[in-house]
Amino acid sequence: MSDLVLRNIGKTYANGYQAIPSIDLTIEEGEFIVLVGPSGCGKSTLLRMVAGLESISQGDLLIKGIQVNNKEPAERDIAMVFQNYALYPHMSVYDNMAYGLKNRGEPKSEIETKVNAVAQMLGLEELLTRKPRQLSGGQRQRVAMGRAMVRDPKVFLFDEPLSNLDAKLRVQMRVEIRELQRKLGTTTLYVTHDQVEAMTLADRLVVLNKGHAEQVGTPMALYDRPASTFVAQFIGSPSMNLIPCTVEDGVLQLGADCQLASPQFSTDKIMWGIRPEHVDIVPLQDADLNLQVKAVEALGAETLIHGSVKADRDKQYPFVVRLSGNHAPDIGQLIGLKVPQHAWHVFDAETTKRIEAL
Amino acid sequence: MIENRPWLTGFSHLILVLGVLVVALPVWVAIVASTHPANAFGVGHIPMWFGDQAFANWHQMLIGKEGQASHMLRMTLNSLIMALGITFGKIAISLLSAYAIVFFRFPFRGLAFWVIFFTLMLPVEVRIVPTYEVIANLNLLNSYTGLTLPLIASATATFLFRQCFMSIPGELVEAARIDGAGPIRFFFDILLPMSRTNIAALFVILFIYGWNQYLWPLIVTTDDAYYTLVMSVKRMLSVPDGDIEWNKVMVSTLLAMIPPVLVVIGMQKLFVKGLVDAEK
Repeated sequence: MSDLVLRNIGKTYANGYQAIPSIDLTIEEGEFIVLVGPSGCGKSTLLRMVAGLESISQGDLLIKGIQVNNKEPAERDIAMVFQNYALYPHMSVYDNMAYGLKNRGEPKSEIETKVNAVAQMLGLEELLTRKPRQLSGGQRQRVAMGRAMVRDPKVFLFDEPLSNLDAKLRVQMRVEIRELQRKLGTTTLYVTHDQVEAMTLADRLVVLNKGHAEQVGTPMALYDRPASTFVAQFIGSPSMNLIPCTVEDGVLQLGADCQLASPQFSTDKIMWGIRPEHVDIVPLQDADLNLQVKAVEALGAETLIHGSVKADRDKQYPFVVRLSGNHAPDIGQLIGLKVPQHAWHVFDAETTKRIEAL
Repeated sequence: MIENRPWLTGFSHLILVLGVLVVALPVWVAIVASTHPANAFGVGHIPMWFGDQAFANWHQMLIGKEGQASHMLRMTLNSLIMALGITFGKIAISLLSAYAIVFFRFPFRGLAFWVIFFTLMLPVEVRIVPTYEVIANLNLLNSYTGLTLPLIASATATFLFRQCFMSIPGELVEAARIDGAGPIRFFFDILLPMSRTNIAALFVILFIYGWNQYLWPLIVTTDDAYYTLVMSVKRMLSVPDGDIEWNKVMVSTLLAMIPPVLVVIGMQKLFVKGLVDAEK
């Protein structure tokens, strides 16, 4: 049975602003769903609607087949981890975790067993008597997760839980969250704007743009076949190179001096895209495209070359190439690029939707 | 400040010492005066060193002359009841009104806040005649209720708690909602403990405010069973003819000073924490 169903869910604020027009989403039991999008895309609003912290203007929200639109957050059997952890500052770690259970009226002995079990799982046994202010960022994060886990909810909700941690800790906690979720098998809805987090954590990703679900799918599906230019640019880092151009009579016109053999598409005005990592460097005479180097970022294992290509009546378009290993081209130098056809992504220039060769 | 200029250090200390002298001298005079016989002041100079009547003066004021019991303890008790009544009343009512204003959406919420805020412009002294009228009509003259009730509503405290509550992050409120805490649980389990230091700081300020009330008790009490300590000092000064017994006046003054000093000393730590707190 599907665990969490969003049926035609929408949010309109009292002032008439429509944050979320309509979203349909069916989440299976134990799935890890990541909502991702730029700030202001409605991802947090959607999560808060599921939590019951924000009212639902239209549609149905079902948890385990029961409509919960008008239920209080505490009655929905969900647990939420907040961005700033939202630990009660005057309570000890133990009390923080036990508070929800106490309010439910569970017997003391049972609360103790549950809290201790979770504390052990998260390595918090030593910290149970401490106050939140005596904990480090990572420990607070763990307590916040512990508080959610103790309640053994049907759905976990995470609202950008890692954005206050430093980079190293973030990677560590990311792995930990994923492991815990697998172990517990609890359906999870996770909001982030960080696409690395999104890619690594998700069973399925939901890319939101202005309140619309642009695309729903596995991380790899989104990476391999983005449904629109928005998804194409949002997933993958550095993001996909996109250049507007035309296709006529089997020729892709990437600029005055760049024509490539191409299959035909349903429209001739297209956005042509290729990921930075799918571009090869070749000698200039064999090149499909010439890149003028503007900046080089050597990261050790790989090198990012930022530059521009001339296309579409000599306009300059920014272009990034990602190469493994160490390369050191000079600034201003021209580099020849090979863009293999199987790595192309083609979008309708008007609708920005993905189109396939006819 | 890390500076090493001897003359500057000396100068700062001089200013500080002068400041302490200005503040402490009257207190010193009061202490010294309470140890002299009544006639020591008639001759036009103020003694600066202790006399030998300390025990006699204090004994007479606290216990009473033979055959005539002292009102001092009764008045101290009255003062204490009034001060604590005002303090707790103000804190309780301000907590509740600030809670309503910050955490609940109801019609005319903003108006309610501004009306409360507006009463800052109407201290007891300004509204003393109508307030007296109301209290008199309610038959509350010469009662503890009459002493405390009109002073309890407080815009200052409401405003302070409002600021304090508004600094509580919204996520915390939401976390409590998810944890199943309703409005009453949230108030007692989370809001109250979190405003502990603010309450303490306010307690100090309000206790001193209540204790030092002078005009209102003077007007609303005519029965000496309800006289307060601060009032009595003034009453001892208005002797129709004959000499003012300065030694006894000073004993009452000192007696009136002690409780606020104790409160400040006892709650010093919490007081400072409550005013500069950044724990949240």
